[in-house]
Amino acid sequence: MATSGNKNINAKLVLLGDVGAGKSSLVLRFVKDQFVEFQESTIGAAFFSQTLAVNDATVKFEIWDTAGQERYHSLAPMYYRGAAAAIIVFDITNQASFERAKKWVQELQAQGNPNMVMALAGNKADLLDARKVSAEEAEIYAQENSLFFMETSAKTATNVKDIFYEIAKRLPRVQPAENPTGMVLPNGPGATAVSSSCCA
Amino acid sequence: MATSDSSSSPSSSSSGTEFADPNPSTDPETNSERVQSQLESMNLSQPSEVSDGSTRTDYSGGDDQDEVASANGNEGGVINGGLVHEVVAGASGGEEIDASLRAENPVEMEAGEEPPSPTSSGYDGERGSSGGATSTYKADDASEDEIREANVDGDTASQHEAAWLPGKRHVDEDDASISWRKRKKHFFILSNSGKPIYSRYGDEHKLAGFSATLQAIISFVENGGDRVNLVKAGKHQVVFLVKGPIYLVCISCTDETYEYLRGQLDLLYGQMILILTKSIDRCFEKNAKFDMTPLLGGTEAVFSSLVHSFSWNPATFLHAYTCLPLPYALRQATGTVLQEICASGVLFSLLLCKHKVVSLAGAQKASLHPDDLLLLSNFVMSSESFRTSESFSPICLPRYNSQAFLHAYVHFFDDDTYVILLTTRSDAFHHLKDCRIRLEAVLLKSNILSVVQRSIAEGGMRVEDLPIDRRRRSSTTDQGQDTVGPEVSVGTGGPFGIWHFMYRSIYLDQYISSELSPPVTSHRQQKSLFRAYQKLYASMHDKGLGPHKTQYRRDENYTLLCWVTPDFELYAAFDPLADKAMAIKTCNQVCQRVKDVENEVFLQGASPFSW
Repeated sequence: MATSGNKNINAKLVLLGDVGAGKSSLVLRFVKDQFVEFQESTIGAAFFSQTLAVNDATVKFEIWDTAGQERYHSLAPMYYRGAAAAIIVFDITNQASFERAKKWVQELQAQGNPNMVMALAGNKADLLDARKVSAEEAEIYAQENSLFFMETSAKTATNVKDIFYEIAKRLPRVQPAENPTGMVLPNGPGATAVSSSCCA
Repeated sequence: MATSDSSSSPSSSSSGTEFADPNPSTDPETNSERVQSQLESMNLSQPSEVSDGSTRTDYSGGDDQDEVASANGNEGGVINGGLVHEVVAGASGGEEIDASLRAENPVEMEAGEEPPSPTSSGYDGERGSSGGATSTYKADDASEDEIREANVDGDTASQHEAAWLPGKRHVDEDDASISWRKRKKHFFILSNSGKPIYSRYGDEHKLAGFSATLQAIISFVENGGDRVNLVKAGKHQVVFLVKGPIYLVCISCTDETYEYLRGQLDLLYGQMILILTKSIDRCFEKNAKFDMTPLLGGTEAVFSSLVHSFSWNPATFLHAYTCLPLPYALRQATGTVLQEICASGVLFSLLLCKHKVVSLAGAQKASLHPDDLLLLSNFVMSSESFRTSESFSPICLPRYNSQAFLHAYVHFFDDDTYVILLTTRSDAFHHLKDCRIRLEAVLLKSNILSVVQRSIAEGGMRVEDLPIDRRRRSSTTDQGQDTVGPEVSVGTGGPFGIWHFMYRSIYLDQYISSELSPPVTSHRQQKSLFRAYQKLYASMHDKGLGPHKTQYRRDENYTLLCWVTPDFELYAAFDPLADKAMAIKTCNQVCQRVKDVENEVFLQGASPFSW
């Protein structure tokens, strides 16, 4: 959940997507400005943090780069629970990864935080010759599901910073009533009254 | 052949562990044909008509790690075209005697008199009494090693890991490839419905037929209310391990002991459990045809690195762990922080450096088995992904609790040194991260990380550093100590021809192994020494004959000395010409030396590791 204070926003962001879609590559490009051609498969989930300045605030992203491997799917809620934002990544050269991305969108819509900012990233946009998922198709899907869509390339750094920047801009500036840092135990007389009436 | 079957064996089996068949097969002919066809379809090694020495080099591939079986010549193959195998079940216990397969041996030999089919020569080439095969094997092994050495020895003189690359190789191969059949050591994991799960070489999916054959052999024996443990076929050993719905098979001609190969399968299974937990069994209960390969996606490097460690890491057969040598105070300081971390609700906290322990701590009553530590460090070390950032991953410790996942926080401080914090709570990441920050502060303040780096650079104990009593040594030489003159001993290992030693403290579950020094320098030599140790270990712990207290053994490669007491086990390798009395004296010195430095080479004061 994004927390604001003094225009400093902490936002938990999760990356989801199929094996080999390029989640880790996107994060590494964003956080370290690095790219490895043969990125090793992620184990569990890797944690990164990166701060981004947008017009009116400083957003500190706490990024969970999850593993796309099937055996970790059941753990995904652990990472997207309470997340303020999600990037669902697919590989534009792989139709199956787009289908997998749709499944993630469904799961987040059903289980995730309703105010979550969701972005759809069509990664490997540099591999135009091998494209299997058209930009139009993905754009239409994104609009139908109120996500925003960008084609990215971790390799050439195209749109990588932009997608995080766009998320940062869309993060809600005013928090909903629920307290994001955890439950504050009330100790005022009013609270006592409520609890006693509850017990009675 | 002490079987009940009347047909006599054309070539006497070499096994000394034959048992009378307690359960004669009622229909040996049918059964034998089935087993024969199953084994035939395995095509383990190449057909003998292809085997000529010239093909060997083709498969050496310049790859230090890949073991390519040398072509086994044509001996025996022509005369005995048929299938000969020998089953030695339950090598260490009578209760596992495999009756049904043994009963068929003589019949299979009859079948062998039929003209050999071109593809049935899987075991043909290996035919022959093992007495005669021994020398052939050695010769083959040596020449194969030389070929490999010629290709790669540019760098094998350096450290063992240098030339080894993680990950799976030769995925293009399958059981029809000659190169695949020639590999010296195969590992397979398959399901009880015969679906391939893992293969060391080749593509699992292409090996479906081969897997089904292995499954057929296992279930054939199981249907007879029995269990197959080992099939010996010439110089090949086929070792089976059944773990519920998971079958593990090793096919090896590396001359390692059955016990150790079985132990390797056990570790391989443990590695799989570490990734998936034993609850994977339930998937097979729901669906017998369940395909497990996708669940192990991206873990090829974990398995290949484990298999690699079988040939260099003594922890794989000593079942003990080893520490990085460090000043006592620094290890204690690290241990104190780790213990504080555990007190805050963390199950295990470990600071490791490669596969060695800097320090570790466990929550009260929680004990970590050395095998779990081995599998855990192998998993973390072989997965590149852990090095990019902080990671939080589910991990199961098979010996601690094979049913449940723990959550592991992993962070690398530098290329070699990393912390693993294990907890049962899936929401503990931020707490563990704070713990790591606290630990890092202490490590930086005490300069521990740079001491650790220095310790890696300096290495551990060396045989050259053992005290030498010059006067005594020259006097023994004068007394005619075989042919070992001082000029031979000097520069080849430590005093009195000691080349290497391993000391295992039984109470601590830890071992210390001396650094490799000349003349044992290349990976090949190291592997050979380790295999000699493994045999020594197996013979010392042989349940039928042992346990023994001491053993002194000399062959053309080494003089090996082993000494087992209730407190420690010492394994030492000497020059083959070393003097026995001097070797014993040197072993005493080694033990004294280890005791002198035990505070630096062992993790002391930790709560007893395994209760």
